[in-house]
Amino acid sequence: MIKRRLRLLLTSCCLFWLPASHALAELVVVVNARCGVAAMTRNEVVNIFFGRYRQFFNGREAQPVDLVDSHPDRARFYSGLVGKDLSEVNAYWSRQVFSGRMQPPYKAASPEEALKLITTYPCGIGFIELAKADARVRVVYELNP
Amino acid sequence: MRCLLRRPLLGAAFLLLVSLARADHDHGSFSVHGFGTLGAARTTSESVEFIRDISQPRGARTQWDGRVDSVLGLQANWRLTPELEAVVQGVSRYRYDRTFTPEISWAYLKYDPTPALSLRAGRLGTEFFMLADSRLVGYSYLTVRPLGDYFWYLPFYAIDGADVSMTVPVGENLLRGKLFYGISDGNIPLADKQWKIDGSPLMGGYLEYQLPSWLLRLSYANIRFHNSLPIAEDFYAIPAAKLAPAEVGPSLDYLETANTRSDYYSLGVVYDSGPWQVQFMLNHIEQGSKAFQSSSAGYVLAGYRVGSVTPYLGYSRVYSDRRGDAINWAVARVAADSRSAQGTVILGARWDVARNIALKAQWDAVRGDPSSLFPYRREQSDWTGKLDVFSMTMDFVF
Repeated sequence: MIKRRLRLLLTSCCLFWLPASHALAELVVVVNARCGVAAMTRNEVVNIFFGRYRQFFNGREAQPVDLVDSHPDRARFYSGLVGKDLSEVNAYWSRQVFSGRMQPPYKAASPEEALKLITTYPCGIGFIELAKADARVRVVYELNP
Repeated sequence: MRCLLRRPLLGAAFLLLVSLARADHDHGSFSVHGFGTLGAARTTSESVEFIRDISQPRGARTQWDGRVDSVLGLQANWRLTPELEAVVQGVSRYRYDRTFTPEISWAYLKYDPTPALSLRAGRLGTEFFMLADSRLVGYSYLTVRPLGDYFWYLPFYAIDGADVSMTVPVGENLLRGKLFYGISDGNIPLADKQWKIDGSPLMGGYLEYQLPSWLLRLSYANIRFHNSLPIAEDFYAIPAAKLAPAEVGPSLDYLETANTRSDYYSLGVVYDSGPWQVQFMLNHIEQGSKAFQSSSAGYVLAGYRVGSVTPYLGYSRVYSDRRGDAINWAVARVAADSRSAQGTVILGARWDVARNIALKAQWDAVRGDPSSLFPYRREQSDWTGKLDVFSMTMDFVF
């Protein structure tokens, strides 16, 4: 009986621990290396991902790539960037879409697809784990976990 | 005849949108999305009917009523080139003719030659006040419905025309401006009749300053009414003993709306940061026709998200200015119908229960003067000006 309880306790600890360790992997904002953008401020990142202004300081048009809701990185990204829940981000986009102002960024199914699109678009920008950033992209902003 | 022809066409277009919705997909040049609200509202008074805005002919009393807030909308976006997009939106809601007949609310082409410039032409949503062009999309805002004291006066939903908007970066902040012009396409229910406001030119614009967590906006718009109020018949029906026949003509002249202009001024401030959402807005409406009273309104609303629930609290107020020069009792009565003098405390909560679905419950405590008639329908003589409204909605997008 005590053994079973202990095992239950251990497994539940593991269940809590797993997503926690996952959350420690740092998310960064990356831009296609050929776009010529070296660093960005938080506000510039917000302006692009919320469609307020989709142009880099060098005049080139940004092509943001988002992730599907079901991927945990999406919630981490918006919570780290603006402290908003996904429901709030989605409510924001429903206002933009149904008032005809603009369309949200395309949502990639996985970070791998996101990275592929970021490197395909001339000025693609998106968020991935730091470990996944390779030479094709430049890290322009780090989200503090 | 024109009307008869138009309705089946709109219905067919709506059905087409519904069938296209099944082929929904995000990536690619064509997408269909929708929004909707299932709502029920009731009040504590049998003396007036409560409406969402003055485009609705009948409203809620002490029985739960689904007409006030329920709406369904579908929108198709077709990206023709990276710069050019075609958008059609159909909406079904309780409207001026007491039906839920679907309408093509918008159908326009949008051309964005640069990320800073956007041009649209066709049938467009109007932005008389901040957030007014997404008033029907309940999922996009905190409250059950836009705050009445502020938004009741806006029956204008769409124009056939064009607009241009421009964004200029100022350091890391943004300055945005927009200008629009078009012809109104709508009707306002008045007693058993409808006042046609189609054919009335509307124009306006705004200037907006976007900081990381703040948004400030100054806006102005006007409408020049094309038609007279549908009251002539009623005036000619008044027995001569009560109103001398010679007075009818001057009365109608006094209450003329055709070719008069109403001006709408507003200021909006939104603070949106982390779990906080705060809105503060003021407006002033200057009515050119003596049939209506000019008015001033404002509201403040604050919400704070805790987990998936966002409780909110707000206060709104609207007052209109009496005109002292009504030439006879009948004219005074028409003018009194556009009187509003009340304040409302609202308390509610939004619960984001699942992805793209929100449940809301809200209590509106309306405390006003018995003379406050404009925001209601079918007012009885025992109206006290006090009313509580209870509302529940389920908002969704897809």
